[in-house]
Amino acid sequence: MMLEDELTVSTRERDGVAIIDLFGDVTTFAEEKINSAYREVTNKGARFVLLNFRQNDYINSAGIAILIGIVTEVNRNNQKLAVSGLSQHFQKIFRMVGLAQYAEIYQDEEEALAGFKRLAAA
Amino acid sequence: MSTPSYTQMSMELSLPSELGYEVIARDAVAAFARRLGISADRIEDLKTALSEACINAIEHGNSLRPGLRVQVFCRVEEQQLVIEVVDQGVSAFTPKGEPLTIVDKIAGVGSLRGMGLMLISQLCDEAGFVPRGSGNCFRFAFHRTLAPGLKH
Repeated sequence: MMLEDELTVSTRERDGVAIIDLFGDVTTFAEEKINSAYREVTNKGARFVLLNFRQNDYINSAGIAILIGIVTEVNRNNQKLAVSGLSQHFQKIFRMVGLAQYAEIYQDEEEALAGFKRLAAA
Repeated sequence: MSTPSYTQMSMELSLPSELGYEVIARDAVAAFARRLGISADRIEDLKTALSEACINAIEHGNSLRPGLRVQVFCRVEEQQLVIEVVDQGVSAFTPKGEPLTIVDKIAGVGSLRGMGLMLISQLCDEAGFVPRGSGNCFRFAFHRTLAPGLKH
């Protein structure tokens, strides 16, 4: 029996930023979907990557481990990573585990795109 | 009907030791905590702490063995809500020292996992393993304030 809100992952490009939309629970079962989406945008040459969370009621430590894996790859590939759309609670969790050192946290997609724009212009 | 006494309130859950059931426990305990006047932001902390404690019990204490159970006991004390998560002790908890930081993990030193206990300890007012006859018992607590109309 599947007890979680299964994660839906999709990718799109906007203003030179590769956006990975994450809709649903981010747990150990999300690994292949998230890694596959990241590989897809990286293979297309993405320099700026945004993980755009939407209505994610449940992100657990296994899900955070997947995201730390993405951070490792982002560093290796010389990309820039940001996250948007997290609830206040999960913004706090991301700061607690140290993810905020490696990925800017924005309230929403528009704010993130503006942040990347400033970064690209710098 | 007399006014309920908080200290008479308790709740017990028994879950299959299977990933995903921690979500059911989380929602039930969050509903219980709401009735105790615990604030919305602390309930979010509680939900994450409880999920992580159940995942530890399922993955480590019960070693992902099918057919086992995880028990969740919630007890209201005068100043706090105490929650105990108990597994069947297939694997006994052993302290491993300081957990790896994210810097270590990104540098490839050790597993990317293993942040659950650190998260719980930062989110709760008290947390730790306590002695129990059989199985591992992880106890954590949230201080509470009284909602109007209810007594200790």
